[in-house]
Amino acid sequence: MLQNELFNTVIQDFNTGYWELHKDPEREIWSEKFCNSLGYTIEEIETTIDYFLKYLIDQEDVDVFRDNFFNYRRNAVDFKQYIKIKSKKGNYKLFRCATNDELPVNMKLESHLIFFFEIKIEPEYATTKDNFYYKETAQMTATGSWHVDFIEKKSFWDFETRRILEYPDDYIPSLKDSALYYAEESQEKAADLFFNCAMVGTPFNTEIKMITANKRIFWVKAIGKPVYNENKEIIGVRGVFQDIDEIKKKELGLQKSIDIIASQNSRLFNFAHIVSHNLRSHTSNLSLLVQLIEDIEDPKDKIEFIEQIKQISNSLNITIEHLNEIAAIHTNKAQEKKVIKFQDALNVVTNGIGQTISISKTKINIDFSQLDKINYIPAYLESILLNLITNAIKYKHIDRDPIIDINTYIKNDKKYLKISDNGRGIDLKLFKNKIFGMYKTFHRNKDAVGIGLFLTKNQIESLNGRITVKSEVDKGTTFIIEF
Amino acid sequence: MRKKIGLTCIIDDDTMYVNLVKKIVEAKSLCKNLMVFQNGKEALTYFEAILTNLDKKTIPDIIFLDLNMPVMDGWEFLENFTKIKNKLEKKIILYIVSSSINPVDIERAKSINTVKDYLVKPVTLKELESIFLKEAL
Repeated sequence: MLQNELFNTVIQDFNTGYWELHKDPEREIWSEKFCNSLGYTIEEIETTIDYFLKYLIDQEDVDVFRDNFFNYRRNAVDFKQYIKIKSKKGNYKLFRCATNDELPVNMKLESHLIFFFEIKIEPEYATTKDNFYYKETAQMTATGSWHVDFIEKKSFWDFETRRILEYPDDYIPSLKDSALYYAEESQEKAADLFFNCAMVGTPFNTEIKMITANKRIFWVKAIGKPVYNENKEIIGVRGVFQDIDEIKKKELGLQKSIDIIASQNSRLFNFAHIVSHNLRSHTSNLSLLVQLIEDIEDPKDKIEFIEQIKQISNSLNITIEHLNEIAAIHTNKAQEKKVIKFQDALNVVTNGIGQTISISKTKINIDFSQLDKINYIPAYLESILLNLITNAIKYKHIDRDPIIDINTYIKNDKKYLKISDNGRGIDLKLFKNKIFGMYKTFHRNKDAVGIGLFLTKNQIESLNGRITVKSEVDKGTTFIIEF
Repeated sequence: MRKKIGLTCIIDDDTMYVNLVKKIVEAKSLCKNLMVFQNGKEALTYFEAILTNLDKKTIPDIIFLDLNMPVMDGWEFLENFTKIKNKLEKKIILYIVSSSINPVDIERAKSINTVKDYLVKPVTLKELESIFLKEAL
């Protein structure tokens, strides 16, 4: 199984003893080098984990090693640990244990290995140094450790966990209070991860929102793994909390910027498409006209064609004005979202088109009682209301004065704006996919159908919303906007 | 005298473009008659109407179809026209003339049997002339 050349080279380079972990039945094969490093020959020693834990490993290291070992065997969680092992002579030797992730990356092994690198320094010196480094590391990285003991029914926090969670040094944590330690939206996730680890031994490594004694909510990286006893039963959970609030907030801010940039980019793309399409139709005509002028001999005809250049120039100007309007919306500095009252936005609109409303005898019924404000780009909300209201008036029913019902509501946590009219309605069978489409006729369309709803849809979708329409000919039309 | 296209049909909502083509056709006398529809729906209504009273003179020899139009666009017209064109008992040549340079549109158009070719606006005078000459043969 281990006959591959690369492996042999690596093992030779490592010059170290190792165990090879097997399943079915669970057993470990100790390498000869490992036995030799303790002064034994492979025949004179019992090569089992139970014997190792009981007689060979220093009892100070046994708990941590047992957890590491079983986590590695069952969940393939790599580990590194310093342990002392009793040699044949009776003295302890210091080893650094490492697992498969120590191997070069290009090596893919089917089996799990544990390497034992012998360390030739005074063990005591190493421990003091380790302890110092541990405290130093914990403080500098804001990483606190914790431990829940199921047998003693107690929870333990180290100094750093207390510090990052802002609890006093004499605070005694308890599993019963654990809901207090997590932000409301994270409590279920925390409980799931913890109990999965406690019951089936699934380790976890996650980012979660915790809450300090002073009720400050912050982001934490939480890592946990099960603790095993001699009978390989889970008797606790041990892990660390690292304060990653600053990093996480930066990450979230970055994600937000990416989202904004992506949506702006898609709007720009859309705009570029509109620009190219609408300008092309004029330039095409212009180019055809110029060819015609060059080709035709009769001076009288030529003059007539030159007259037409004026027309094209006019339409081109109108188109560019329209494009400017769109560009203005897209580049407007006031484009930032802010909390705006529906009533205020509506007032802006109705003041602007007050005359149209009164001449057409339009009655507008409003009900913003269920949802009176929204965090939105004010210019968009005004433009949406303006387009839908003017449309309702423009396409009013011949036999009756326009009545427009505008109301807002919340359904399934989503916010909606509904605008219904009693106008002539739209034949959705004919226009289903086109009602929000942009016709190239928009630049010279007498009714200006096309650009208004097209813009409305674009504005709504650019803020991740949706607009839908229901309509019946001669009855009226209802637009529903999901924010 | 060389042979000439009889009836040409333009389906396009851009009146400026239509007028220019009209002028070219007149000035160069490229075909005998010209009919214009503002959108696919108008054109389709016409073709459906002449199905009941087939008169070869009222069926165009060549159609120039725009894609982007209100009410019924070029695609929808094509779909409906393909269903009825065999009943018209006359070979009709159809060109798409559009300002769309979207490769998706061009591929889609060329994959439709009814479509002879895809012309991107602006069409040149020479292009128009050569099409009329070629199709008259």
